[in-house]
Amino acid sequence: MTSEKVLEALAASVVEGDEQGGRKGAEAALAAGIDPQKVLTEGLVAAMRTVGERWKANVIFLPEVMMAVEAWKAAMEIVEPHLSADAKDRARRGVVVIGTVKGDIHDIGKNIVATLLRTAGFEVHDLGTDLTASHFVAEAERVNADIIAASALMTTTVPGQRDIVEYLQTIRRREAYFYIVGGGGASQAWADEIGADAYGGTAEDAVRGALELMGQEQESGESN
Amino acid sequence: MIGFKEITHRALHGPMLSPRDFDLRVVVPEMRKVVRDFGIQYDPMNPVPADDDLADRVFRAGLKFYEAVGTYCVDSERVIRFEEAELLEALEDAPSTVVLGHGADRREMVSRRPEIEVPPWCSLGAAGAGVSSERILTSLVTAYAQLPLTDSITLPSLTMLDGEPIIADTPLEIEGAIRATSLGRDSLRRAGRPGIPMVNGIATAVSGRATIAASQFGFRETDGWEIASIAELKTNFDLLSKVSYIRSIGGNILAETGPILGGLAGGPEGTAVLTVAYHLEGILVKQACLHHPFVIHVKYGCGTGRDALWVRSVSTQAVSRNSHFPILDLGYTAAGPMTRMVLYETAAWVICAVVCGANIEAEGVASATHVDYLTPYEPRLAAEVAHAAAGMDRSRANEIVKALLERYESQIQDPPLGAKYQDCFDVERGTPSLQYQELYAQVKEELVGLGLKF
Repeated sequence: MTSEKVLEALAASVVEGDEQGGRKGAEAALAAGIDPQKVLTEGLVAAMRTVGERWKANVIFLPEVMMAVEAWKAAMEIVEPHLSADAKDRARRGVVVIGTVKGDIHDIGKNIVATLLRTAGFEVHDLGTDLTASHFVAEAERVNADIIAASALMTTTVPGQRDIVEYLQTIRRREAYFYIVGGGGASQAWADEIGADAYGGTAEDAVRGALELMGQEQESGESN
Repeated sequence: MIGFKEITHRALHGPMLSPRDFDLRVVVPEMRKVVRDFGIQYDPMNPVPADDDLADRVFRAGLKFYEAVGTYCVDSERVIRFEEAELLEALEDAPSTVVLGHGADRREMVSRRPEIEVPPWCSLGAAGAGVSSERILTSLVTAYAQLPLTDSITLPSLTMLDGEPIIADTPLEIEGAIRATSLGRDSLRRAGRPGIPMVNGIATAVSGRATIAASQFGFRETDGWEIASIAELKTNFDLLSKVSYIRSIGGNILAETGPILGGLAGGPEGTAVLTVAYHLEGILVKQACLHHPFVIHVKYGCGTGRDALWVRSVSTQAVSRNSHFPILDLGYTAAGPMTRMVLYETAAWVICAVVCGANIEAEGVASATHVDYLTPYEPRLAAEVAHAAAGMDRSRANEIVKALLERYESQIQDPPLGAKYQDCFDVERGTPSLQYQELYAQVKEELVGLGLKF
């Protein structure tokens, strides 16, 4: 089988959300002597680009995206040890901590954003729901995050998004992170008012905002 | 039928599972299996299908799916699961009518069937959308209660309290919920309909304790107490504790669920099946008196796109043909007040709901996410359309809904926000601006042209 065919098979397994196929495809690619960097870019990154395009076109829905991320993770476990430190850094768009603010247990929107950020190449730490401002920041410090993303569905929980800004200012760490807000309770005007760096009106907007903040132009069709 | 004591027991002692495994290893594969096994296919050309066999297959798929999946309790990480015989027994024992309201405003909501002439119950109001002041809340609720076709009302959520934003899980939430409840009740008295039921629980309250506290200030057992779900098919002890309290006071529980189109259930097919599963969950886990679904699109935050209308039509037919447990269907529009689009969207989802066998709750305007972007005109049109659509056959409804979709579906992704209540209504008098009156009249005339008889 040619290198192209091996990489196509790997990408197809990831797009289909086949964890075992992703793992075996990655092993086959490395066994065929394909440069691990090429396996990453032409196999795995290409697969996630396809997943993003299909999500955008409403061809696939959340389950397919979540399964693709699982298959991608399985393949990455095989490929990552073979990548150089530089290649790992290049493959990673940035580190995000994400969760819902204090009092808010509605997590489906946050889960979708987390999933799409992963498809776009971000390392995502999903902190869960109902979180205090200090918890967001402590976790961001612990994992050396680039971005803090906070979701609030309700008008009565959205003030929790302001608390994160105030907490960062209090401990003089506001400049250390980009801050993205989203969810039904938020709006662009609210994001502007509290001094957030980006507003995710939709999950795609949140990903676009994260990429822009990291200074990485979104490749055509990728995850949007 | 299984009682609430047994539900609590299963929530505490059912099989354990991580939330991730519940989503990815149970919900997703079981949904794919039943959609495939029962041959369910989305048909974008027919948002209101007249296919009884499809409706019945969706119902059977929902029954099978819920038997396999159950409801997940996130606090105990356990699954509340049921056997087929328990589900069938629950369907048999479920109530077919519910009496809501007090005194002269006391009414009976009945179960409906596809194409039935029985007028639908019209619950009109804010569906929990936020308002910025007590003055606006009072004006809106008074106006909702004065609409001639109102059977029950839904309160807005108060977002500010004496100049302070209301924050969940704080004393402000308790005070805000108390204030909204007492203002709502007083607004109904001002309208001359003091006993009209308020059916969205206590919208300003997020937690169970705020609901229970605020209920002491004017919320009655004859009102409607909503118990929500966590997407998808999840609950927690706060929600179950509310059920326990409401049962103890003899209150009416509304099983509120928002199946997300494009979410964990996948596309329109899975979302229709999921809605049936929620119907069963409402009877058993929530011990409710009616099923209160609102399909919502994962990207657009509304339930009026072509695919969402198909889900609404098919799932409503599935349930109303196979269960006598009443349905109160809620719609969320993409566009905001004083836009032509919001009136088209309203007419479209209401026709789907009523013709397929539901009662209606109107409505979440502009996805109910923009403070003050709601007026009494959108629910008023919903009620007028609902009464006009009762008895219409599904084929005729399909043609009207398709004609409406042609008028607005290209704007679903980027809808007009329209005007705030205070910018298109006189807040003191609760009367619409001339501009909105003219727009309303024009759209009604168009609806007459499409075949609705008011």
